[in-house]
Amino acid sequence: MAFVKKLAFNLFAWGIVLAVAFPLFWMLVTSVKPAFELFRRPPTMLPETWTFEHYLHLIERTNFLTYFRNSVILSTTTTFVVVAIGTLGAYSLVRFRFRGRESLAFMVLFTYLLPSVVLIIPLYLLLVQIGLANNIFSLVIAYTTFALPYALWLLRSFMAGIPEDLESAALVDGASRMGAFVDVILPQLLPGIISTALFTFILSWNEYLYALVLVNSDDARPLTTGVMNMLVSSFNIEWSLLMAASVMMSVPLIIIFAFLQSYLTRGFGAGGVKG
Amino acid sequence: MINGKTSAKGISRRTALKGLAASTALAATPFSIARAQSDVTLRWWSPQAAPAQVEAYQLQIANFKAATGIDVQFETTSDEGYAPQLAAAFSSGEVPDIVTHLPSFAVQSYYANGLIEPFNDVIDAIGADDYFPGANDVFRAADGNYCGTGIGNSAANMLWLRRDLMAAAGIDKAPETWDELRAAVSAMQTGGLFGAPLPYGRNSMTSLIFIGFIHQAGGQVFTPDLDVAIDNEGTRNALEFYREMREFCPPGATNYSWGESLTAFVSGATATGIYTGRVLANVNNQNPGIAEHVTCVRYPRISTDVAPWTFNDFPSVFIPAQSKNIEAAKQFGAFLFDPEGYIKQLHAAPGHVLPVLQSINNNPMYQDNDIIQRYSAEVELMAESAAGGFNLGYESAAHKSNEKAGEIIGSNVISELVQKVVINGDNADTALSDASMAIEAIVKG
Amino acid sequence: MTASRNAQEAVSHRRHLMARNTGTLLERRYAMLGVMLIAPTVVVFCAVIVYPLLSAIYLSFFSIFTPTLQGDFVGLNNYAELLSTGTFWSSLGTTLIWTVGTLSLQILFGVGMALVLHQNMWFRSLARSLILFPYFISTVVAVLVWKWLFNDLYGIMNHFLISLGIISFPMDYLGTMPNAMISVILVGAWKYFPFVVIAVLARLQTIPDQLYEAAKIDGAGPIARFFDVTLPQLRDVLVVIILLRAIWDFKEFDLIFLLTGGGPLNDTQTLPLLVYQEAFALNDMGNASAYAVMMMLIMLVFMLVYIRRTRSEEET
Repeated sequence: MAFVKKLAFNLFAWGIVLAVAFPLFWMLVTSVKPAFELFRRPPTMLPETWTFEHYLHLIERTNFLTYFRNSVILSTTTTFVVVAIGTLGAYSLVRFRFRGRESLAFMVLFTYLLPSVVLIIPLYLLLVQIGLANNIFSLVIAYTTFALPYALWLLRSFMAGIPEDLESAALVDGASRMGAFVDVILPQLLPGIISTALFTFILSWNEYLYALVLVNSDDARPLTTGVMNMLVSSFNIEWSLLMAASVMMSVPLIIIFAFLQSYLTRGFGAGGVKG
Repeated sequence: MINGKTSAKGISRRTALKGLAASTALAATPFSIARAQSDVTLRWWSPQAAPAQVEAYQLQIANFKAATGIDVQFETTSDEGYAPQLAAAFSSGEVPDIVTHLPSFAVQSYYANGLIEPFNDVIDAIGADDYFPGANDVFRAADGNYCGTGIGNSAANMLWLRRDLMAAAGIDKAPETWDELRAAVSAMQTGGLFGAPLPYGRNSMTSLIFIGFIHQAGGQVFTPDLDVAIDNEGTRNALEFYREMREFCPPGATNYSWGESLTAFVSGATATGIYTGRVLANVNNQNPGIAEHVTCVRYPRISTDVAPWTFNDFPSVFIPAQSKNIEAAKQFGAFLFDPEGYIKQLHAAPGHVLPVLQSINNNPMYQDNDIIQRYSAEVELMAESAAGGFNLGYESAAHKSNEKAGEIIGSNVISELVQKVVINGDNADTALSDASMAIEAIVKG
Repeated sequence: MTASRNAQEAVSHRRHLMARNTGTLLERRYAMLGVMLIAPTVVVFCAVIVYPLLSAIYLSFFSIFTPTLQGDFVGLNNYAELLSTGTFWSSLGTTLIWTVGTLSLQILFGVGMALVLHQNMWFRSLARSLILFPYFISTVVAVLVWKWLFNDLYGIMNHFLISLGIISFPMDYLGTMPNAMISVILVGAWKYFPFVVIAVLARLQTIPDQLYEAAKIDGAGPIARFFDVTLPQLRDVLVVIILLRAIWDFKEFDLIFLLTGGGPLNDTQTLPLLVYQEAFALNDMGNASAYAVMMMLIMLVFMLVYIRRTRSEEET
């Protein structure tokens, strides 16, 4: 009886899981179907002929790898910059007292509300003035506008979760404030940093609007706009190529996710969403 | 919106934004010095970037470098993306040096705001006499200068047909009037096959195509003196016919733009198509089974009393006024028409972009192409139609150049008019007077 | 919760003593260090957020042609106009429908799924990965996949529904109302509910088992246990998630822009899309900025609720 109950629950649970995951399954299937099979009605559930030509086509005959490289550089740089600045900032906001601290914390939250559309043109002017228009670093700067408030906010809650006694003890032992930060706080904060880094990376990897407006050279274009620009045009919509590109765009996230999944959930448990 | 030519006013307007630019300390960065030290590299933007086209552009770039030593960097933009990208570029001064394949009305609008360099001397360098007669009229600006030139012609609303389906449905001649078209698509529509892939989406294609229907019903959007005149009998008839055609279009046509509409015909899902000559290359690459049956005619009109109206977006070449390498850009602009590269560019999508120069059209190298030879009648017809084509910026030979066309298309007023009447079933009179007022408001700025 | 609060008080008390003992010099040096540490954040904020923000507000008082950024000062005209014409209000309505619709689905489905994934099921970690995946893929990818599923001619959705006998003719998912709004809301829910799952799941894992044991002993069934034990424990986390997601959904641009572009008509044109259209299709930067500023003001209300909420929590 217990088994039947268990079986029923599992069938139910897996039914939902598979329904949620179906679009991803369909993306995979479409990407290995030859182009002519796509226009079959009714659609074939599994490819009758398997082909990897779309992947080869993307890699060999398009700028896909350039876009991919750009996205990797862009997302990693953004993540490093944002996490570095954010960790120091969060440390300061949580553990130091100085004038304006409260209003700063308020400002962090306020910037959270800004719609990207508002910032684009002024931001672009600024980037041109400092000589950074139309390259990857212009996007790094643009991405900090939404990534930094979020990272700061996450790190602040993580930081607040670390007992102050540890730091006090180190200080009593004669460590300097920064020494205590490096030796005591950072190791404690590591899960929080990893979790924040993951979220920052995901946000940067997936951004579309800034990339659309701020960058117009293939040397700097990331995957999101690169793929749209390359494959969805007024002269052709190649679904099989699009799906293959979608699969390949998602691969890095799958890998990161597979290795660091526990940090993600644990990070949240440690206080990320406790406010 | 703002006519940027009265200089006194222009200065006061410029000062409005000075404060903004100066308010950042970073404005002091000596950016122009850094540039002067680097070698000249021209930046070239185009939304037409199918792989074969890019390949041809690279050849043109290499030839230009060999001839002049000047580097050109090609960058793609897109039909949906060029407006914000150019807006950002113009407002920052960080502009491309040459832009190709944008519709003529976009060029006129930028020129009217003082953003574009006059193109007269480049046209002379290319050879003004070599153009098909009148080919540059659409680029003549209000001040008498040319704001750009055509890099090609396109006949974007050809009616594409399949002889096999017509024969199967017992239709012996291509439809010339709307009644014949409706009868034909109705006869060809079967369970899995739809009659036509007309766009009903809220996008520029729907606006642009529907403007064609207005003219094919004898109507117009503006009078030759550019008073708003969309509220007329022709538009009403066009709306009515466009509504009737809905049942012959796929359900998703409510979201169709160029790509979907083209793919629907090429994949064999619709019996007719509405597109440029790009159909030929795509059919031969993607669905060779129907290649021998495909043909095209001018899109039908309400009756044979009304002249056909071909939508030509007049793919352009222009040079932004803020370019720091205007002379080199002009050199390159003229070089784009150098036969070897230009023909390769045209061959990248045979029949899609048609030559504007007579010497090229008659050049055996241009004629030496499988698709151009195989579909010579179709290509000939498209060339002829496109040469006599129009668009919203240039509704007829009698019309003045309309600088607001780009914003009217961008505002989606016309595609919304179509959606209101066709999808929502709103009263055509109300929808039309709303649209008329909305256009009025855009014209006023 | 109370325990940690007590500990915090004790620590701050101790630090107070520490500061007094070591004198004000150290205190001042610490304050200096604190300012130095926050300095990069402040610089970045001022440069990339505050400056563009002030420009946006500044621009909203002008009538400005986007490509030239030239125009005349018009004072509050832009605001007067947007408040008097219907576009802003109908777009605000659309934004609220979208936000409320997609948010409630995200929360309901997210909490439900977290509860399921918290149970012992076969291949639980695989199931978790599959569920969380939509959140990690890019919006571009999500939109492409759904557009392909929704495709009128070759889409699998129509095929499923037709072969199940639910519909007899292919449906138009994105081009007519109310289908378009429903589709957008559903795709939004699909894309973002895993965020709720992650947060709730993490919280569920920290609920002490004793609470459930105690409830069981008191004779509470599974449903009563959910309402008496689980839900109160989730309350804090849910309040935060709802506010976070509300802000994000309210300013969502990519998903709707790529899926419907605001159509049919203006029926899915939320405020961010309206700002985009004003700025780049109509080339009216002044108006666009005014819309954007209004949008921020509305969101400010969201945030004040949030601040009050966290404040009152800290105080109790």
